[in-house]
Amino acid sequence: MSRRRALPTLPPPFPAPFLTTLHSLLAQPVLVGGTSDQRLRARRAVLSQSGTFVGHRPYVRGDDLRRIDWAAYARTGEMFVKQLEQEERRTAALLLDLSPSLLAGAPPRRLAMLRAAAILGGLALTHLDGLTVLAPGAGDLAVRPFVGVHALAALLTHLEALPVVEVASSDAIALVLKRSVPGRVHWLSDFAVPKDIERPLQALRRRGVLVHGWLPELASDHHVAANGYVRVADPETGEELVVPMDDRFRAELERQLAMLATQQNRLFAQAGAPLVRWPVPAVDDWRLQSYWLIVAGCVA
Amino acid sequence: MTFLAPAHAFWLLVLPVLYWLSLPSRPRTQTWTPHLAQWQLALSALRWRPPRLARWRFLLLALAAIAAVLAFAQPVLVATSGPTRLVVVLDASASMAAVDAAGISAWSRAIALLQRTFANVPPHVDVTLLRAGGPMVRRHGASARALQDLGEPSGELAIDLSALATAIENDAQTAVWTLSDGQGSASLPTAGGLTVLDGSGSNGAVLAARLQDRWPLPGFSLVVEVVAFADSQITGELRIEGAASDTRAVELPHGVVRNETFELTRAAAGGPLRVELVVAGDHLAADNTWSVWLPPLPAPRIAVLVDGEAGPFADAAANALAKEVHGTVVAAAAGSEASLLLVDGGQAALGAGRVRALTFGAALAGGVAPTLWRSPTVADWDRLSPLTMGLDLSELRIQQAWRSLLPSGEAFLWADDGAGREPLAVVVGAGDVASVHFAFRLQDSNLPLLPAFPQLLRRAFVRSYGAGAAPVVQSRPVAAGEQNLLAAARASDRALPTFGGEARDLSPWFLVVGLCALALRAFVR
Repeated sequence: MSRRRALPTLPPPFPAPFLTTLHSLLAQPVLVGGTSDQRLRARRAVLSQSGTFVGHRPYVRGDDLRRIDWAAYARTGEMFVKQLEQEERRTAALLLDLSPSLLAGAPPRRLAMLRAAAILGGLALTHLDGLTVLAPGAGDLAVRPFVGVHALAALLTHLEALPVVEVASSDAIALVLKRSVPGRVHWLSDFAVPKDIERPLQALRRRGVLVHGWLPELASDHHVAANGYVRVADPETGEELVVPMDDRFRAELERQLAMLATQQNRLFAQAGAPLVRWPVPAVDDWRLQSYWLIVAGCVA
Repeated sequence: MTFLAPAHAFWLLVLPVLYWLSLPSRPRTQTWTPHLAQWQLALSALRWRPPRLARWRFLLLALAAIAAVLAFAQPVLVATSGPTRLVVVLDASASMAAVDAAGISAWSRAIALLQRTFANVPPHVDVTLLRAGGPMVRRHGASARALQDLGEPSGELAIDLSALATAIENDAQTAVWTLSDGQGSASLPTAGGLTVLDGSGSNGAVLAARLQDRWPLPGFSLVVEVVAFADSQITGELRIEGAASDTRAVELPHGVVRNETFELTRAAAGGPLRVELVVAGDHLAADNTWSVWLPPLPAPRIAVLVDGEAGPFADAAANALAKEVHGTVVAAAAGSEASLLLVDGGQAALGAGRVRALTFGAALAGGVAPTLWRSPTVADWDRLSPLTMGLDLSELRIQQAWRSLLPSGEAFLWADDGAGREPLAVVVGAGDVASVHFAFRLQDSNLPLLPAFPQLLRRAFVRSYGAGAAPVVQSRPVAAGEQNLLAAARASDRALPTFGGEARDLSPWFLVVGLCALALRAFVR
């Protein structure tokens, strides 16, 4: 029996205590440590010869002599430096899942997703050159670039204004591929249907897009505490199910949830993409260590 | 469709209880989940099916309950309209015994017609038969169809057939059928079916007879009332047979009651006496006779037992009584037989009411010691007792009597000395033996000198025989108004209406529906 019920509403995602915690996280010295930055620069230097050629520019003093296009110099007598794609990758992208399924849970998974997006976006604005927020299905708000630390407030406003829309994973990835988003793509979702993310992950891998999966994890993703007759509903389809809950069914359901988690991990591993499961803190939990895993996962 | 027991639909109030019981057990948790597929996979792994049709399960249960309640209310379906009950009013008055020219009585024709009709009445029709005439008899169902124990026509028609038929047919489901000869009714019913059984013809009847018996003397008087209803004056013959015999021809004008008086002498042995009116062409013979049983004449042997102090009154009284009843006076000796023992004073070893005796101031066996009662004043006597009715005892004077001398019995003579009435004489006994006791001796009163004394002695003799001295009329009283067979009401016969179809009981079908609903519910989850 399918019957659409009123979807749950979200509390304000970014109250003042969270902003305090957010600014504390972005101000942590460990996040901006030289190790990570220098490693990125060294990696960029090593991989500079293997980047994708995108054009020439005139040589200026200080340019790496290995990037001079000697063939062009022989033809023209002027020195040009080969400009590679690697230089554009100092940005990051947030791919947000706006589907109603993230409204489920206590606290709602969407709330945790928005806060995680705020932290990831803040890190990108602080330590990278720019940030692109991709929200498939959000209409005019689907693609929005942000540059500089001063854009943090605009980022939070943008995140809070994102609607709840139903969009397929394939459509979301199509938007990524169409925009040729440089840098790492942080995909925040519940990945509730593994078969819907398998093909998009493989497509992104073929296109060389680095994907980082973020899964705000709820306690109900592993354990079921309800007793008696339980009426469960899918926020996306409205489909309902009434089940008499007992120990036997609870054990079987937890086994199925464990299989789902294993399947999600396997798909991301096959795609060479990390999947970070972030235990969602309580709504009023503003401690730093509750959000530290996001920062640690981003650095890793 | 209708219900024979609609009050049982009250049980439909159990439906809210069923609904409440069908609700799933608490607690019921409602939650959102993105993992509905995992819930479904868990159900499949356990081979469970979710109760998706809980509403249907309740609806089927409610349907079963409703069907059961309606079946309990006895639903019936009337196939066709029309009466389903037949009430037959059968005139069984005495005139129904009148015969026609073929010698067949109207009663016999009515019985034959009922047998033929009942054979064609559908089995589902509820038949009730009322016998009107004489004692009302009601037969119902199979007993009515079998015409069980209806007896013979007798008595008078004490009810209004027309009003009865109209009252019965007020019920639309009931048809009434009246069978009557029309005699004794001002009009015949206009409602329902009607069959008139013609029994008209001439009839002579003995309306009543009055017997004046002079027992223990053999003579008696008999007055017979006769009447005849015919087209013209007829001559009948009045025959008396049995304990006495006589025959007399009587002229009987139409509808004129004649009184014929007979002075007869019975045989000493008594026995039945039959009076019969013989009229040529009589259609109703049942009212032509009157019969009575006459008691046998006694052999009055009067024994006298007198105290030594008694005077000659006892012997004189015995002789006077013997003369009155044509009897003899015998000695009161051991072994002698006597039909009446007359005792005057002293003590008598006899039981009150067990011996035909007449005692005056005599103490009976087993009685208490009497006390002398001087000059009691006679206050009154029973004016309705057969012993003293019509006698004048106002001159009775008693010099002395005895208290506590009399046994318990029916007093008919009292004294009153200012302290209330006390009996001076009683009669004891029932049936064929009785004894009469006085509390004073003949010599202590002027009773033997009263003119009423011989008559009192004779009555005491008759009373000592009790019911054995009374004639017994064996004929039933003639039914009033049942003799004139020429004055019967007439009307055309009317056939019975068409009966309604059999009401079909729908209870089994409702039960089947309920069971099907329960069976289907077992497959619905």
